[in-house]
Amino acid sequence: MSVMLTKFESKSNRVKGLAFHPTQPLLAAGLHNGSIQLWNYRMGVLVDRFEEHEGPVRAVQFHPSRALLVSGADDYKIKVWDIRPQNRRCLFTLHGHLDYLRTTQFHHEMPWIISCSDDQTIRIWNSTSRNCIAVLTGHSHYVMSAFFHPKDDLVVSASMDQTVRVWDISGLRKGSPNTGPGNFETFDTFSTVKYVLEGHDRGVNYATFHPTLPLILSAADDRTIKIWRMSETKAWEVDSCRGHFNNVSAALFHPKHELIVSCGEDKTVRVWDLAKRTAIQTFRREHDRFWDLAAHPNLNLFAAGHDSGLIVFKLERERPAFAVHQNTLYYIRDKYVRAYDFETASDIGLLSVRKFGSPYVPPRTLSFNPAENAVVITIASDNGLYELTTLPKPSSAQGGELKDSSVDGKRGSGTSAIFVARNRFAVLNKTTQIIEVRDTSNSVVKTIKPPVQTNEIFYGGTACLILSSTASVVLYDIQQQKTLAEVNSPPVKYVMWNADSSVVALMSKHTITIANRNFSQHSLIHETIRIKSGAWDDAGVFIYSTLNHVKYCLSQGDHGVICTLDNPVYLTRVKGKTIYCLDRSARPRTITFDPTEYRFKLALLKNNYEEMLYIIKTSTLLGQSIIAYLQQKGFPEIALHFVQDTNTRFELAIECGNLDVAVETAESIDRPDCWERLAQQALKQGNHKIVEKAYQRTKNFDKLSFLYLATGSTDKLSKMQKIADARGNPMSRFHNALYAGDVMSRISVLRDVGMYPLAYLTAKNHGLEELAEEILEAAGLSAADVDDVPSFGQSTRKPPPAINPTTDLIWPSLSAGENFFDRALASGSLENGIEPTYVNGDAAAAGSLAALDDWAKDEEVHEDIDPEEGGWDLDTGGEFSASHDNAVEEVEEEEELGAGAAPGISEVEHWVRNSPLAADHVAAGSFDTAMQLLNRQLGVVNFEPLKPIFLSIYRSSHTYLSPVASLPPLQLHIRRNPSESAPSKVLPVAARSLQSIRSEFADGARDVAGNRLVEAQATFRSVLKALLLVVLTSDSEAKQWRDMVTSAREYLLGVSIELERRRVAQEEPDNTKRNLELAAYFTHCQLQPVHMQIALRSAITVFRKANNSAHAARFAKRLLELKPDAKIVATARQTVAAGERNPRNAVEISYDEFTSFEICAASFTAIYKGSPSIQCPYTNASFLPQFKGSLDPLSRVD
Amino acid sequence: MDSSELYHVKQQFVLGAYKSLIDLSLPDPNSPDYTPTLVYQARSHIALNDPKAALQLAPTGSENVALKAVVALAKFVAAEEAADDKEALLEELRDLSLEIDGDDVEGTERDKATVRVLAGTAFARAGEVEEALETLGADTEDLEAVFVIVQIYLSINRPDLAKKEYERSKRWAEDDLLLQLIESIIGLSTGKDENPSLSSPHVLTARGVTRILRNEFSEAKSDLDESLEQHKNDPDALAASAVASGLVSTKKSEADVDELWARLASQYPTHPSVVDVAKKSDLFDEAMAKYTVPAIASAA
Repeated sequence: MSVMLTKFESKSNRVKGLAFHPTQPLLAAGLHNGSIQLWNYRMGVLVDRFEEHEGPVRAVQFHPSRALLVSGADDYKIKVWDIRPQNRRCLFTLHGHLDYLRTTQFHHEMPWIISCSDDQTIRIWNSTSRNCIAVLTGHSHYVMSAFFHPKDDLVVSASMDQTVRVWDISGLRKGSPNTGPGNFETFDTFSTVKYVLEGHDRGVNYATFHPTLPLILSAADDRTIKIWRMSETKAWEVDSCRGHFNNVSAALFHPKHELIVSCGEDKTVRVWDLAKRTAIQTFRREHDRFWDLAAHPNLNLFAAGHDSGLIVFKLERERPAFAVHQNTLYYIRDKYVRAYDFETASDIGLLSVRKFGSPYVPPRTLSFNPAENAVVITIASDNGLYELTTLPKPSSAQGGELKDSSVDGKRGSGTSAIFVARNRFAVLNKTTQIIEVRDTSNSVVKTIKPPVQTNEIFYGGTACLILSSTASVVLYDIQQQKTLAEVNSPPVKYVMWNADSSVVALMSKHTITIANRNFSQHSLIHETIRIKSGAWDDAGVFIYSTLNHVKYCLSQGDHGVICTLDNPVYLTRVKGKTIYCLDRSARPRTITFDPTEYRFKLALLKNNYEEMLYIIKTSTLLGQSIIAYLQQKGFPEIALHFVQDTNTRFELAIECGNLDVAVETAESIDRPDCWERLAQQALKQGNHKIVEKAYQRTKNFDKLSFLYLATGSTDKLSKMQKIADARGNPMSRFHNALYAGDVMSRISVLRDVGMYPLAYLTAKNHGLEELAEEILEAAGLSAADVDDVPSFGQSTRKPPPAINPTTDLIWPSLSAGENFFDRALASGSLENGIEPTYVNGDAAAAGSLAALDDWAKDEEVHEDIDPEEGGWDLDTGGEFSASHDNAVEEVEEEEELGAGAAPGISEVEHWVRNSPLAADHVAAGSFDTAMQLLNRQLGVVNFEPLKPIFLSIYRSSHTYLSPVASLPPLQLHIRRNPSESAPSKVLPVAARSLQSIRSEFADGARDVAGNRLVEAQATFRSVLKALLLVVLTSDSEAKQWRDMVTSAREYLLGVSIELERRRVAQEEPDNTKRNLELAAYFTHCQLQPVHMQIALRSAITVFRKANNSAHAARFAKRLLELKPDAKIVATARQTVAAGERNPRNAVEISYDEFTSFEICAASFTAIYKGSPSIQCPYTNASFLPQFKGSLDPLSRVD
Repeated sequence: MDSSELYHVKQQFVLGAYKSLIDLSLPDPNSPDYTPTLVYQARSHIALNDPKAALQLAPTGSENVALKAVVALAKFVAAEEAADDKEALLEELRDLSLEIDGDDVEGTERDKATVRVLAGTAFARAGEVEEALETLGADTEDLEAVFVIVQIYLSINRPDLAKKEYERSKRWAEDDLLLQLIESIIGLSTGKDENPSLSSPHVLTARGVTRILRNEFSEAKSDLDESLEQHKNDPDALAASAVASGLVSTKKSEADVDELWARLASQYPTHPSVVDVAKKSDLFDEAMAKYTVPAIASAA
């Protein structure tokens, strides 16, 4: 099944008409309610709405090159619209049709519009003159569609009158002298009916030309799609596509592939093979009938309109399958495996995979194995297939045909397949939830039951797998068969390892999880737009593509845009400034980009200053975003180096405390608030010189003075006094005087402002009596007036002396911030920064490959043991059922009921899977595998005699019932464990039981006793056959089984020997020696005592007759040991006595009873202990070596 | 609500008591029961593989959609036997099932539902599983349609979907014999068995088959023998009886098996089990040919 992928969906009124814009991602939809919608299907937004029509709009079409749209509706009007947003409007309306409009279309080069209508006419209009220039009459019912030929002067129309017509309009091109309206007669001379295509037996809804071939496609109410071919002179029906079970609304040729797409009122969109006219695929909607279909002229995009909206879909996955190894990209295009060299850009085809899976489906994944030069490819068709093929040497592919993978490809079913080691690959079967590890000869070496419902598997590092489940990803160790780690994530679709396999990117539809090797650390990125692909950059940055961007992502989760895309691409590798990718048609492309931004961020993360510096030196392209980023991430000092704008520089400088830069920028800005902030920052850092500067600039005298006081700068303080004087500010003067300890000056200020009392006291307290008197005088007072003023004594207060020359020093600060960069930038030593070296990203580094080999070796050891186990090994059987105990309950997939139900897994398939027993495979009707099992386990080669048993077991395992009248009866499967309902445990009924075989064996034994040896021989042979196909359920049963096989063999051997003896006695009466030998051998078959007595008595008789009394006596003694009847005892005693009298043997025979021996079942001769012999793999009967490769004459099956 | 007569007719039909249903006399032509009863009788004839009798029964020229559908189905089954062109008849049923969506058709809702069931049956017989399911409708509220849908699901090995459909129908359907039957049929295929306990040959066969599935072979054999006594050559009973005899595995039963198989194979050469076993026989020969058989070891 190929894939139909819905890209966009909208809900609306019924959609009757659809058209793709040829270049922009726009789709026009005509609705039943009279509205025309203009959708941007890529962004999923409604761009515009045109609502001037009254009644359903069935016809819409874009102009091939101009921003125009033509529409037609049930209001009989044709309207032409300018769709540019700035002047969106209806340009003009064409009147003339007398009934509903069905389709409208612009001509590809002429200024013509064609329309058709229920008024039974087709009209062609000149869009420049806005006149009708032709009326095509002839249809005798509604005309449902009419379209121009893409190149020629032809028109094809479809009508309810059950015909499709092709019209020649070449006359029209020559120019019409009569362009005025209303003169219909003249038009008919320009356009003539060329062909009338009859064949549909109901009305025809749609007819269209093939874009390049002389083909026409029509869709009709008779539920068929017809293909017509035309030549210069005639047109004829080629074939029909049947399958729609209601009216077909429209059918289109796929613009690129040999496909037909159709839709109908049976609520389906169907895809057909144009060449074979067979249905390929059906897409179904529950409740909506489809009314119209449109194909994008260039892209793999289709749109279909239905009862409650529209869908845009593509027909196949476009993501090409690819794998990267060192400098080579292996990828698949048009079903050819190709190799693209990243360095030389050589691009060659290596292998054809055309015969792999459905021809319409591109392979899904490719896994490359450099050691074997082999690929494993998977495809989604046929419920998932994989193929393992070796790639031919590129040189051998030169010239001539490429090798086709079917030559030596090994296939199997599986949904996901990848190489996990040099000679191992893993295959996931999604339905059975089993992962098989296979070797290069495609045989299973290990089977794994994944611990979670697994949808896809990926390489998980050495001997590990990554299992993608519905809500998590699991890292799974193949060898230990256990889960190593599990991370929650939406279903992971692609996995990319970085160059040294230390980090992995797990991509889902909208998230990327970056995890380390053992999943112990991980970060998650969310994308609103669908993620398409990704690749690791040399430096360990993950570059990924979404529908419309290429982005990067750092391991801690930072991400940003690298460039925008017109069309999605699939990244294969990123190296330096080049992105290598495959486009939607799987052609290799490169995109050059500027990695500066993310490289810088990465360097920042890793504290790689050299790298950062290099970037700083060499790149010019650093915008606001990176500064904001740096600031936000707490690296203002680094950001500082990129900033040109002084305001920002100042801010950054303040933030990171870079005072030099701050001063520099503050000077150029020179605004008080800057200086103030600078002063604050500088004060914090103890740089009082800058604080001083800032205060000076802002004329902040108070603070300045205080600063001088704090730093003990007396000179400056006195200077400040002078300044204060000059400013005439008494407060400032007083402050400065106080700070400077200048009493005279203080008094002077106080006097100046008329505060004589204070001035007086100050003078007095400082022992300046004279001055005090002077002040008193000036105040017009005498000493007596101030008698009541207490005496304070001499004040000792004065500013503390400066101990350290702080004035000249600034507070020392740590040089952390201004380390590497400032030094580097200042010294210029890294002027020609060395570009750091990068590691090339290889799919598998050499080291990990070696590790894989080791692991593979381990596997091989196991494999060597395997063949030894086989046969009816019930230990294996036990393990088998045990492994089912931890089987995961099958997660019930939510599936819609309805017509799209795909067939499931039949019961018999479960039987085959659930049982290693040949009998169960036979019951399942899987004769092929049953034979393989018998052949492998027991060496059976001759199946002919088993046929009745096979058929009867199969017949006995199925029964039929007809619950519903007149439906074919339902096949029901008979189980031996009817109470079991888990599909993983069901087993077929056991048609033959050991019990019933035992009774058959007893019949045989009775025959022996009754001397019916021929019957007995047949019975034992049948027992041996039946035992091949019996169901064993326990160890004790297995033992019983083995015993019974042995007994049956011995009896069969004995009976056969005795029959041979009788033949010899009859046919070669002189051959006494042989006669005696055979009689003796018979007594050496392991028989039950009662039968052994018969053998011994027969031997005694024969030997006595031949006068071999010694031997006869031996047999008689053995007979006596068995305690027979009294009568027999008597005869035996006589024989013993005779033997003792005459202990001789008249005939020399090859019989040494004292050495143990086996009897060759073919020649009936003794094989004494120590002589070479071979064994039958089933019955263990012995044979002389010369019979190697022959059929066992006992069972006749081995 | 159906009249008790019609209810009885329906039960008979569901239980597969086709013979006794055919023997019933028809109600008055003006009775509302007339058409449904007629349709059930015609369907019984078809179920007994006698489409010609069904065609004789149905009045010609009736505009009732259910009758038209039953005639089309009868013709279809007859054409299958004669290997005639069946496509035209399928087309007729297709048209009918589209027609009933319109307004101007003659027939009650029950008739329309019958059309869907009959068309679905024909499509399923023709192997058009997808179309059958679509016709019967994913959201049907007609138990007969559900019954057909369930069997179709089971025939394509989707017991999961069959169960889902059954669970869905339990939500709207009243407890009904048909519903129980649906449940037991699903049970037969999935291992959770029911034990139908009514007596008509059809039900006896069903019980016999159920017992085979429960590994109660001797009991199954007696049910099937009884069923065969009542309805001598019911193919399902014959086939099941052969299976049961084979599994009882006594000397006598082995002879029975061959006799029963011979009967089944000669009378119903197209019964799926006969066809299937023949196919398997060929498969065996094909698989066997992969092994080369060496000469028998012998001293000569």
